[in-house]
Amino acid sequence: MTTTSDPVLDIRGLTVTFGGGPKAVRALDGVDLTLGRGEVIALLGESGSGKSVTLRSILRLHPPKRSRIEGSIKVEGVDVTTLEGRALEAFRGKTVSMVFQEPMLAMDPVYTVGQQIMEAVRNHESISAADARARALEMLTLVRIPSPERRLQAYPHEMSGGMRQRAMIALALSSKPRILLADEPTTALDATVQVQVLLLLRELQRELGLSMIFVTHDISVAVEVADRIAVMYAGRIVETGTVRDVIRRPRHPYTIGLLSTRAHGGRLEGHRLPAIPGSPPDLANLPPGCAFAPRCAIAAEACRASVPEAVDVGGGHRVRCFRTADTANRIAALAPAVTS
Amino acid sequence: MELDTATKPAPAPPPTAQEAPAHPLLEAVELVKHFPIKSGLFGRANAVVRAVDGIDFSLYAGETLGIVGESGCGKSTTARVLMNLIKPDSGNVLLNGRAPGTPELSLKDFRAQVQMVFQDSYASLNPRLTVEDSIAYGPTVHGLSSTDAVRRARRLLDRVGLDPRRFAGRYPHELSGGQRQRVNIARALALEPKVIILDEAVSALDKSVEAQVLNLLLDLKDEIGLTYIFISHDLEVVRFIANRVMVMYLGRVAEIGPTDALYTGGRHPYTNALLGSMLSMNPDERTMEAPLAGDPPNPIDPPPGCRFHTRCAMAESVCSAKMPTLTVTGAGHFAACHMVDPTSGHSKAAA
Amino acid sequence: MVQAVATLPIDDVAIERSPGYWVTVWRRFRRDPVAMVALGVILLLILIAILAPYITPHDPYRGATLRRLRPPGTPGHWLGTDELGRDMLSRLIYGARLSLFMGVTPVFLALFIGSAIGITAGYVGGWVNTILMRTIDIIFAFPSVLLAIALSGAMGAGIVNGLISLTVVFIPPIARIAESVTTSVRGLDYVEAARASGAGALSIVRKHVLGNVLGPIFVYGMSLIAVSMILASGLSFLGLGVRPPEPEWGLMLNTLRTALYTQPMLCALPGIMIFITSISFNLLTDGLRSAMDIKA
Repeated sequence: MTTTSDPVLDIRGLTVTFGGGPKAVRALDGVDLTLGRGEVIALLGESGSGKSVTLRSILRLHPPKRSRIEGSIKVEGVDVTTLEGRALEAFRGKTVSMVFQEPMLAMDPVYTVGQQIMEAVRNHESISAADARARALEMLTLVRIPSPERRLQAYPHEMSGGMRQRAMIALALSSKPRILLADEPTTALDATVQVQVLLLLRELQRELGLSMIFVTHDISVAVEVADRIAVMYAGRIVETGTVRDVIRRPRHPYTIGLLSTRAHGGRLEGHRLPAIPGSPPDLANLPPGCAFAPRCAIAAEACRASVPEAVDVGGGHRVRCFRTADTANRIAALAPAVTS
Repeated sequence: MELDTATKPAPAPPPTAQEAPAHPLLEAVELVKHFPIKSGLFGRANAVVRAVDGIDFSLYAGETLGIVGESGCGKSTTARVLMNLIKPDSGNVLLNGRAPGTPELSLKDFRAQVQMVFQDSYASLNPRLTVEDSIAYGPTVHGLSSTDAVRRARRLLDRVGLDPRRFAGRYPHELSGGQRQRVNIARALALEPKVIILDEAVSALDKSVEAQVLNLLLDLKDEIGLTYIFISHDLEVVRFIANRVMVMYLGRVAEIGPTDALYTGGRHPYTNALLGSMLSMNPDERTMEAPLAGDPPNPIDPPPGCRFHTRCAMAESVCSAKMPTLTVTGAGHFAACHMVDPTSGHSKAAA
Repeated sequence: MVQAVATLPIDDVAIERSPGYWVTVWRRFRRDPVAMVALGVILLLILIAILAPYITPHDPYRGATLRRLRPPGTPGHWLGTDELGRDMLSRLIYGARLSLFMGVTPVFLALFIGSAIGITAGYVGGWVNTILMRTIDIIFAFPSVLLAIALSGAMGAGIVNGLISLTVVFIPPIARIAESVTTSVRGLDYVEAARASGAGALSIVRKHVLGNVLGPIFVYGMSLIAVSMILASGLSFLGLGVRPPEPEWGLMLNTLRTALYTQPMLCALPGIMIFITSISFNLLTDGLRSAMDIKA
């Protein structure tokens, strides 16, 4: 569902530069993204594409001295880029909260899970210790941790990977945020555990009416949780649309490449995967035009000269490519398995 | 670099498992490796991680054996024991029926024939050596002159799709992950091995680069006649590349069989749970129920009987009492489950 | 085992070479202004120490009873004179010789011995590691200042005994660092890969371990030079290291202390020199450490 009329999060022209001088790295370049109430967007991209940088910018987690942020990030009408001090603290965790890839690094090893959730709650609300404890218990129950009463006393290292990630989700949701940011929350988990955590996140999102941005490098994970997918490449969103549009009718050559490159099903003898040639670009040294042009099979003069603006190819499906006319039926030719 | 190779003509097919020669190229016989957890002043062991706990399998020339399983299943330890990087507590690794480290097959000769590519492309290259020096190191150890070793290194770079003019004199940190992994493959090839063990070799790569490296591995296999052991947690990739697949759970083999048979008709409940965890890529058919609850148990203190019985929906009393052994369920297809063993006493055992 | 190969056209192509590791480190180091200033100061001090006989205005040993304890700024004695009327500037310049020598030598000796112990313990592991490192731990258990004083005291005052005791003090920390760096490098995949190629332990240590551990160990050693200088000065101050009338900054601090209330600026001068030198070594180490941290 797209509720662009009432976005809870509206990012306009977000540009993030790290460092300065000739070595400056433009990690994000003009990112536009709107998140509707109760909507789940998957930010899909490879390492260095800027998906995590986008997420961290929303919570203002970048060190201010070494990063320059331009553009606006409006959360429920308030520009996050102007928040300071107490207002920023109240915003983090209370309005927008985050789940990290590695709960072991995101949680404090010297406090029990219960203590950490209680502390998070009491940072935002003036409630008694007993009430905070009750909330912590409620949260652990919410994330379906077995015997939650006992788990309150557990230290993060005493839990298994899946339980730890559940505890991390409980911690992130403890102050009842309206927007949840998830940074590859299932990447470090085993396959059978990944499914459990994905299902949990999907159920919680629906039960609590959360708006969610889910960062992942795995298309199949994005398909599993998201309403819309935004594909990132070299700091730009190159394609956005509903999950069905993006995976069944992808229009950006990079998305098409990613989808057709997936190993899918068995292999016939002698068969090879259609691979995207070359390596991901160096962010400190981007080409002047479309960043994907050097790896793109259909790049033209225009692609190398200037950066394409986003064009709507129908129904809010937006693509930053000059050659959308030539990409209409590309996926069918490349990977019949995906469309069937 | 690597061009779109989808339309490349197929070279002669390598022998598959079905028409396997009588004797295997590499064998693992009852491999056991436990790691003591040391503690206390004198480092006394008070617990053991049963990383590999009785593993038997054969690898036939020309095939790709995939090994899948979750963390703690012992797949990486298996790779290191196979490579003789870790000595097994008991059991044997045999190459053409001969054990390495014996008068018939010195460890050095064994290592020239079995090579390995690691997951972390950066950690597996010496940061102080140029790419060509890293590749040339192995051959010089085996007595090739350094001029010839460097020549071979440059040819191999060319072979794995890296222009030696641009890459031979570079250091690992100047290369991308995919390029580094190509260098690691070239290094593994430098001793002209028969078997290459790929331990999560493409797992750390971006998807767009992963496909290039998989294609390269397939090309090399066809052209040089290599045999692979492909260890991965990615079931899609294993299905794509492997002829046979071995599923491991807590240090033991749960199931081993031809890829298609195993992916379409797994006989061990764990295999099916693992396959059921693969995501569909179809927004209209999302996964609605997780095939398994909870995490894999700790290999420090694995459950008695069948290791999987604590998470298995079909578990009966026999499963916690008796450890199942690998039982034939089809052509070259074995599963270690009481349900496929008619004599086990499990109520669902096929009679 | 492996046969020689025939020449192919590809063997003769010219390849592009990246600058070597230390060239890259130097380029990165050069961009760090603080570290460059520290390096400049240290080079200047070394130069001064070498050229001491040619640049000192006076004989550092000859005093004049009538010109004792002149404040800095005295005509003819820019930095004043000490309690025996010797020219402070000349003594400070000559002091650089002994002070740098006393600071640097024990660290270099300890680098040799400590690295050998630590790398052996780290690479061989097992019982060898346990025996070597537990022995090191016993020495390490003593506070370094006390240990240096106790050893010097037991052996008697003098430059050589001071050097020996400081060397003994620095062996344990260097051995520990060497051991931990080696242990971590030994566990890295490229060492595994080298073992997997059939290489022997010595070849692996030479080609893959040393190059990767000596740098960090050396940098750690550099950071000890500042400590060593202060300890050496301390020993001299206590009358255990360099003995009068040799000019050494720590010793000068000692002998000048009687004038602390009458000529505080004068008394502070050797201390300032020790401070400048040790902080320069520290800043140099910091710069070197970050310059050596080359990542992908």
